[in-house]
Amino acid sequence: MTDTGAPKSGWHVTEEDLRAYALGELAPPLLWSADTHVGSCARCRAVLAAVSDQTALDAGWDRLDAELDAPRPRLGERLLIRAGVAEHTARLLTATPVLRRSWLASVACVLAATVLVVHAVDAPALFLALAPLLPLAAVALSYGPALDPTHEIAAVAPTHGFRLLMIRTVAALTASLVLNTLAALALPGYGLLAFGWLLPALALTAAGLALAARLGPLLGPGLVGGAWTLLMAVAATHPAGTPAAFTAAGQSVAAALAALATFLLHQARDRFDTEPF
Amino acid sequence: MTTTVAAAGLTVRHGSTRALDGVALRLTDGVTGLLGPNGAGKTTLLKVLATAVPPDSGSFTAHGEDPATPAGRLALRRTLGYLPQTPGFHPDFTAFEFVDYVAVLKELTGRAERHREVRRVLDQVGLADVRGRRLKRLSGGMRQRVALAAALVGDPAFLVLDEPTVHLDPEQRMRFRELIAQAGESRTVLLSTHQTEDVAMLCHHVIVLAGGRVRFDGTPAELTARAAGRVWSSAERAPGARAGWRTGTGAFRNVGDPPPGADLLEPTLEDGYLLVLDEETAEAAA
Repeated sequence: MTDTGAPKSGWHVTEEDLRAYALGELAPPLLWSADTHVGSCARCRAVLAAVSDQTALDAGWDRLDAELDAPRPRLGERLLIRAGVAEHTARLLTATPVLRRSWLASVACVLAATVLVVHAVDAPALFLALAPLLPLAAVALSYGPALDPTHEIAAVAPTHGFRLLMIRTVAALTASLVLNTLAALALPGYGLLAFGWLLPALALTAAGLALAARLGPLLGPGLVGGAWTLLMAVAATHPAGTPAAFTAAGQSVAAALAALATFLLHQARDRFDTEPF
Repeated sequence: MTTTVAAAGLTVRHGSTRALDGVALRLTDGVTGLLGPNGAGKTTLLKVLATAVPPDSGSFTAHGEDPATPAGRLALRRTLGYLPQTPGFHPDFTAFEFVDYVAVLKELTGRAERHREVRRVLDQVGLADVRGRRLKRLSGGMRQRVALAAALVGDPAFLVLDEPTVHLDPEQRMRFRELIAQAGESRTVLLSTHQTEDVAMLCHHVIVLAGGRVRFDGTPAELTARAAGRVWSSAERAPGARAGWRTGTGAFRNVGDPPPGADLLEPTLEDGYLLVLDEETAEAAA
């Protein structure tokens, strides 16, 4: 530990922030900077001692001690906190099971393979049929016992099941929509049609969750995914023209279904807290 | 002693079978042992009391909170620590991160306060030195202690432990017993186990569950007393014994109805437990 009065950066914690720090009221990420700095800067420690009473100072050191035990939040968590997400919510978001590297890598591989096939045979319908299923699968697998090893512990925790579901949904949906968008950008020849998957994806995800509240986290989304696959298979038997789901009328229906399913999901939110999943 | 958890008529059906069949119980502070063979309904009972599974009928309260209502369920969950039979982990989490994650789920949202609490429980289970190690690199016994730390985080008043000593070696089991005994000093602990030694060493109260029903409810001494005058030694296995096995001395230890003049032995808790199960088997066969 360097114990000089002025660290190389020349930066010091302001007196106001040191007062907040002493009271345990300084929030991340400034808190992390203060933790690191106060440990190595005698000048700031002296100011801290001057602005703190002894009891508060002891509590501060105790807290610093506990902070030094705590692992540094990982990159994703730090970015979320810097973006204004509450620290505890960021922890839940980044603990979403399908955000594990293995899941993301497999989804990226599927999308890359699909894009290559679409390029080779010039058939955007294949990508459009697959892309909406990925967010649905990601969301379905992010909650419930299938992929979440801590589900049983989470289910009996006081955090409302619906809140946890929504946090996981945001995380899984964001990750899969970003991957889908990257894949769509790799198909520039199709223009806006390459993004025709977006509204069906939202509709399928919302419908899958609404049914999950009644049928469970696998059966509900499974039925929705099966229905979509059937629809696409039927569309494939009429290869001329754009499949109905990706026409203006089809997109309007998808948007309406997404809105309706979101409403039904909200109505059924308490089921995620009372039903064994 | 004040009753902290009270249940009546708890019934859970799995298809046509009853995993729990009208279970009634009363728990107080201290460690209560839940004994029973495989399929007795122990895990189902613990899941019900931990609010993971709602009963098909019957009710219970824990510390005055009734989980049948949303408000009561939330209040009960705020006082609950639960260690499931097969606690799952995110393998890439460190011990600290895992307990911290569970602490967030338990609504400890203040970062500094939460980290102090995580450190406290990891210290309590003797894992302070490996708090930064990933769970996939910890031994099974250490992971079980991490799971116990996660159950203890937030200082719950009601601790539900589902076979926490299974798969542990004897030294780890002893260490775990110390931790459970310590936890039971100031809270209600319900400990499901196959091991009668766990009950003999830890519990002030024991419940034997078999076929989804409570077959015994009393103190370990009372369960042991069930076998008073019903355990005897013989050179060969006694034909009328309900159970009998050759001991290290070469003689048979028999449990059941001894013949006149039998060489009676001091009963153990296990003898009492065997007799209770035997009564249940006889009743089911009748």
